Amino acid sequence: MSQRHQQDCIEILIEKAQRGQISRRSFLSAMGVLAALPLALRSQVTWAQGRGLIVVNWGGDALAAFRRAFAANFTKATGIAVRIDGSGPTTGAIRAQAASGRPSWDVVDAEPYTSELLGREGVLAPIDYTVVDRSRVSADLAQRYGVASYQFSHVMAWDTEQVGAAGPRSWADFFDVRKFPGKRTLYKWMNGVLEAALLADGVAPEALYPLDVPRALDKLAAFRPHVLAYWGSGAESQQLMIDGEASMGLIWSTRAILLEEDTEGRVKWSYDNAFLQHSCWSVLAKAPAGQKPAMQFIQHALAEGPQVELLKLLGNGTTNPKAQQMLTPALRRRDAGSPENLARQMRLDIEWYVDHYAGTLEKFLGRIGS
Amino acid sequence: MNRVAAWVRSVPAAHWLLWPLPVLLLVFYVLPLLGVLAWSVTLPEPGLNNYLQVLTDPSIRDVSWRTAWVCMVVAVAGVALAYLLAYTWLFSGGLMRRLIELGVLLPLWLSVLVRTFGWLIALRRNGIVNTWMQAWGWIEAPLELTRNDLGVLIGMVHFMVPFAFFPLLSAMRRVDDRVLLASRGMGAGAGYTFWRVFLPQTYTGVLGAFIMVVVFAMGFFIVPALLGGGQVLMLAEYIYLQMFQTSNWGLGAALSAVLLIIVALLAGLLVRVTGLGADFKEGDR
Repeated sequence: MSQRHQQDCIEILIEKAQRGQISRRSFLSAMGVLAALPLALRSQVTWAQGRGLIVVNWGGDALAAFRRAFAANFTKATGIAVRIDGSGPTTGAIRAQAASGRPSWDVVDAEPYTSELLGREGVLAPIDYTVVDRSRVSADLAQRYGVASYQFSHVMAWDTEQVGAAGPRSWADFFDVRKFPGKRTLYKWMNGVLEAALLADGVAPEALYPLDVPRALDKLAAFRPHVLAYWGSGAESQQLMIDGEASMGLIWSTRAILLEEDTEGRVKWSYDNAFLQHSCWSVLAKAPAGQKPAMQFIQHALAEGPQVELLKLLGNGTTNPKAQQMLTPALRRRDAGSPENLARQMRLDIEWYVDHYAGTLEKFLGRIGS
Repeated sequence: MNRVAAWVRSVPAAHWLLWPLPVLLLVFYVLPLLGVLAWSVTLPEPGLNNYLQVLTDPSIRDVSWRTAWVCMVVAVAGVALAYLLAYTWLFSGGLMRRLIELGVLLPLWLSVLVRTFGWLIALRRNGIVNTWMQAWGWIEAPLELTRNDLGVLIGMVHFMVPFAFFPLLSAMRRVDDRVLLASRGMGAGAGYTFWRVFLPQTYTGVLGAFIMVVVFAMGFFIVPALLGGGQVLMLAEYIYLQMFQTSNWGLGAALSAVLLIIVALLAGLLVRVTGLGADFKEGDR
């Protein structure tokens, strides 16, 4: 999940550290930031001497899930220890790792445009497709510097008590507060938001890219009175919907699944017209553990078994077509990557994001934050 | 203080005890800071382009104005509230004093995250403030108290009141009671005495507290990010964006440098206004 590494509470840090999920250095510095160093020293966390492979994801629930789905069996099969670090591999963070000259990260679970951009800069290494079996993912998901780890979707979710069971059918519905009353919540880090605004404004789906950014921003500015909040973390989006503060949200499918369960169906959602994107396994060019074990890890993580496990644990969609055969009908309905669901969604144009993400994000945040 | 200073001077070896702090600051603060400042004129290419962008970029201009506006409002409201609290503390008895102390000190001991989430829970649409006001029939529909400018202002003012309270209190305690009595004795009313006799004698404290709050508020990150609902972008978060998201380190460094200069100027002003420098010189003697 493209979840930003948000401020996290002290207990969680200690817990993560006790499970060996974050490095001693990042633990101590994080605790220092939270002014809890005395607590850190009393927390009785021990640090393994040997250093295996460090895989960096976005933290939160994904820490434990990655350990179960990807790390445990890989270690059993290869003897290589894996540590999952939830620091959040943003473009800037990966670049900072590389700029230090001695990165501590090996494998990252990065945004696809981050992977491509940093690959071109030489910060990330090309995927070694002699080790990684290209056929494990569908053809469009094997990029030069990254291969799709899982996919998820930016979906519409609605509170049936506020807007009725039927809910919105299109993005025009989502922006229509007369038909569907109540406040909205949208994604602060932009993916899918501009697309939704443009479709609601009448742009044809085929003509979406390249995105007409000024038009999208104008649409969002006009919609501002109806936006309760731009959520920055998955947990925040979930809270806004659970409490009924927002009647509709543009949120991740992974959180939508949890919401529907937690509210016993009060909050509903759909893959119709949702924006699909994948996440990428990429390897740092100067990975301290070396390229070989890193590529082996990716090859392992792309197998159908671990993918199905992650789908069960977090709701992240599969990228390996073979995984479909292992799914129960219920899981298949939930899988953003199943053929039925793929047909209902649009894929975010990663090429556009590679060239335009950083510059547009600045404008977007400046506009929604004023 | 003076005895310690005299002792240090009399024992030459004791000088070494003073060294660790500056060395620590130099190695772990000044040097990395200089590195960051160097980025501002070297990344992505050498030159002053980043500073030019800081001056001309419309997004940065908007963010800067919003930051300045929020800081001003927070400083005025925070200092006014703190003034009332300090004044009440000064002229009331035991129970009231304990209550004010509790109210001012308790938040200082809580983490900013806890306080911010507390405000979020209290102020949101179905939070306790809205629920109570609806139950009492004061309002029909819930008010938008947070996830906007108002929420950010409330959270920041609450954070700042203790920082303004103490300088104001110390300024008020320097006011000689007898002058106030003299004013009343010569026929001035309570209001006149306050406005013309008491208040002018605390101007230094007011200005000092004001500058201190502005300096603090300029670097605020968590409170606007959480209570603003993603819709109140301030300078500190914008710098974070440049550093970690768009990884435009040169621009982020230039913005940091500009912020640092403004804060330094304000801090210099603070020292002059409050006469902090004079105290240091006195200690020197």
